[in-house]
Amino acid sequence: MISSLHRILIIARNTLTEAVRQKVLNVLLIFGLVLICSSVTVSQLATPDIDAAGLFSEQIKFVKDFGCGAIGLFGFFIALLSTALLIPQELDKRTIYTILAKPVRRAEFLLGKFVGVVLLLALSVALMSLAFAATLYWQESVGLAAVEANYAQMDLKHTPTAQSMHDHDAAQIIKQVRDPQLVEAVLLIFAKIVMTAAIGLLISTFATSWIFTIITTFMIYLIGHGESLARTFWLSHGAETTIWQSGLIGLIALLIPDMNSFTIVDEILAGNRVPWHDVLNLLCYANVYVIVLLAVSVVIFDYREI
Amino acid sequence: MNGLPLNLRLRRAMLIALLLGLWAPVKIVWEQQIAREQDNLRYHGLVMNRQMRDELGQGLTIGILSGMRSVVADFIWLEVTTAWENQEWFRMGGLVNLCTSLQPRAPVFWDMGGWQLAWNASVGAERDVTQPNELRRLKAARFWIDKGLDVYKRGIENNPEYWRLWSDTGLLYQQRLKDYKNAAYYYQRASELPNAPVYLERFPAIMYGLAGDDQGAYEAWRALWEKLTPAQREMKEHWKEKIESNIRRLEQKLSVPKEKRVFPN
Amino acid sequence: METSTVAAPPLAVETIGLTKRYPLTWKRKVLVALDGLNLQVKQGEVFGLLGPNGSGKSTTLKLLLGLIVATEGEARVFGLPPESLEARRRVGFLPENPYFYAFLNGDETLRFYGKLCGVTGDKLDKRIEELIDLVGLQNGRERPLRSYSKGMLQRIGLAQALIHDPDLLFLDEPTAGVDPLGSAQIRDLILKLKKMGKTVVFSSHLLEQVQEVADRVAIFSLGKKVLEGSLESLLTENQSTQVLIPAEMNPEQQERLRKFIGQTGVNESEIRFTRPHLSLEQLYLRTVQAQPDFVSKDSPRP
Repeated sequence: MISSLHRILIIARNTLTEAVRQKVLNVLLIFGLVLICSSVTVSQLATPDIDAAGLFSEQIKFVKDFGCGAIGLFGFFIALLSTALLIPQELDKRTIYTILAKPVRRAEFLLGKFVGVVLLLALSVALMSLAFAATLYWQESVGLAAVEANYAQMDLKHTPTAQSMHDHDAAQIIKQVRDPQLVEAVLLIFAKIVMTAAIGLLISTFATSWIFTIITTFMIYLIGHGESLARTFWLSHGAETTIWQSGLIGLIALLIPDMNSFTIVDEILAGNRVPWHDVLNLLCYANVYVIVLLAVSVVIFDYREI
Repeated sequence: MNGLPLNLRLRRAMLIALLLGLWAPVKIVWEQQIAREQDNLRYHGLVMNRQMRDELGQGLTIGILSGMRSVVADFIWLEVTTAWENQEWFRMGGLVNLCTSLQPRAPVFWDMGGWQLAWNASVGAERDVTQPNELRRLKAARFWIDKGLDVYKRGIENNPEYWRLWSDTGLLYQQRLKDYKNAAYYYQRASELPNAPVYLERFPAIMYGLAGDDQGAYEAWRALWEKLTPAQREMKEHWKEKIESNIRRLEQKLSVPKEKRVFPN
Repeated sequence: METSTVAAPPLAVETIGLTKRYPLTWKRKVLVALDGLNLQVKQGEVFGLLGPNGSGKSTTLKLLLGLIVATEGEARVFGLPPESLEARRRVGFLPENPYFYAFLNGDETLRFYGKLCGVTGDKLDKRIEELIDLVGLQNGRERPLRSYSKGMLQRIGLAQALIHDPDLLFLDEPTAGVDPLGSAQIRDLILKLKKMGKTVVFSSHLLEQVQEVADRVAIFSLGKKVLEGSLESLLTENQSTQVLIPAEMNPEQQERLRKFIGQTGVNESEIRFTRPHLSLEQLYLRTVQAQPDFVSKDSPRP
């Protein structure tokens, strides 16, 4: 058991090293970082200076949406590329033969590869989150400076209402920027990316080309955003449709993961309170889903002729 | 090339079927539970209809379908700003509606959208020199104010806990419609919400004063005074002197009997 | 001989009626990659699998490594099923044309495979030193594998196959695409391994090299083993005898010798005089190695 875990970690480390030393993924990551930082410029486009508090909740929303959107998008690309190439590359270079000829179980090989990808994704998301935090901090200082400018003409000391308005505006900006719920958002985005990677891994255990893996994974990802519609329809109107329709919709509801529930991230970014309890529930769901996907992958890979 | 013997293929198929068969019911139940939980958060997701799809076009629809809804909404919001700069009020109204339907739980869209319509569009209409006479200009202005008010109110319906939408509605009643009674109501509701700035608590009383309702103003000031604990009264942001002087002034003016006064002497 | 039961020690490799078929769905045909192979390799032997491309050599090796599943028949490695971890602990494998992880250097590569086999710490360091020495890759330790020449790749491949000190080695075309010098080095390595008591099973279509290292060979064609035996027994021509005289002879001397041999009862007219040829390989190796500044070093691949 321990030696098994040891082997998984060795393969994971090797996978991570490979990914880090490969230029494609680094370039993707750099693009992600640049996009996150440039969200500041886009947010400036939004509205010329009008009303301090209103303006800044709008701009902060922009920076948050773009930042998290970029983390999600580039994390998705990295997950898709790295998992789709995982096994084809091994087969191509015949390294898979040398590893599987060693006292290594196939499940250990596959899990090691997956853990390596998860480590890579964690690293990428962590780096992009840092850039995101820096960008938000910058936006905060711009906002606070604008608030100061806005109240510069007023004699704050002698007008309690103005003083109170000033303090409140500044506090609002800080509150929006330093929202601890952003941790929830990043965790949810990460969970969604890891799920995508697990889907990609599953496809690649039986796919014969990496292009097939990428396209299929992408389709499942898209359909996953409509799974909730399919599920509600299937549960409520299943009997009213033809066998084919309800069969197809049922298949989607039964097999495709619900990606849409992760758009609760939008709620968090819009500043609405989402309790940790719900976030943890969703993270658990993603976790269990990943385990099921991995189990199926292991079964397929165990029987694969290499 | 796959040369796996048939019996192993069958065993593999059965194992996969077993795994998925066990998981699928759990999955459905769990997802339904998550959906209920999210409904309880007043988060209903988004149901795309044909009209919305037409307005969005293919590219943005795919963006939404792949979970990039808020980014898509932000991009449309950039268009709202452009429409405002070009004074295309009807286009702006449509875009505001689109943004708020995309993200009904993003208060900033309701807030800024209502402001764009009730203030910018209506002021624009008032100054519209292409209109032949003052009456039509005022009528158009009123049209946009009502539009903006509608956005605020729908925003409140979707985000009742967000104080700013209430206070902005109050502001609109106060300054554009001169309806101080309604303004007092909305300020009052705003001041009771979490995170609301303290100064809002004085606004309802001031509104009654502006409406010329001395009795109402007195009751509002008095209610505020009684609501504050002695410790709070000493805090700067509650501005004790202001409340006190207003109550004293109104008690004089309304000749409230001494024994019923807050400040008998 | 093929059905003899061996009590101890177990055979390094034993297959009984090993068959692999691939159904070609679209053509409604079946491709027989390997057909009823019976094979026995004793411990300590160097065994060559010969045959043209697609004759079943690689399929045999894959079956013996548990990478694919036999349609019929059975394979045993040291008496164990090939897919078991116990069997694979005792087996090392060098695949055909390996690339390995191009982003690792020689040292890292061996370290990775060593850890994978549970070799760690000082033991691993020592083992790496030994293997680098054995395969002569001192100049490749710090270089990433992407800059390795073909011969270096094969040698690092051999080193990784040996990292856990296996008793049995499977080498798939170990000299394919390697220049004569490199392949001579690999040949010498195989002989070294034999001296260390390892069993080596390798496939090749370069017959000359097989001849120099293998104790026994099996020749495959179209998925079937068509010939098997020791090189000694297979290659000796019993109808003739060769005498090597390390000196040049003029016609007169030749005539006298012919007469002399004739006295032993051999038909004089059937005796032929020729000069022995160097093989081109021998010539090449002699020439290259005779260079004064020659050190066994590979040039990087272009």
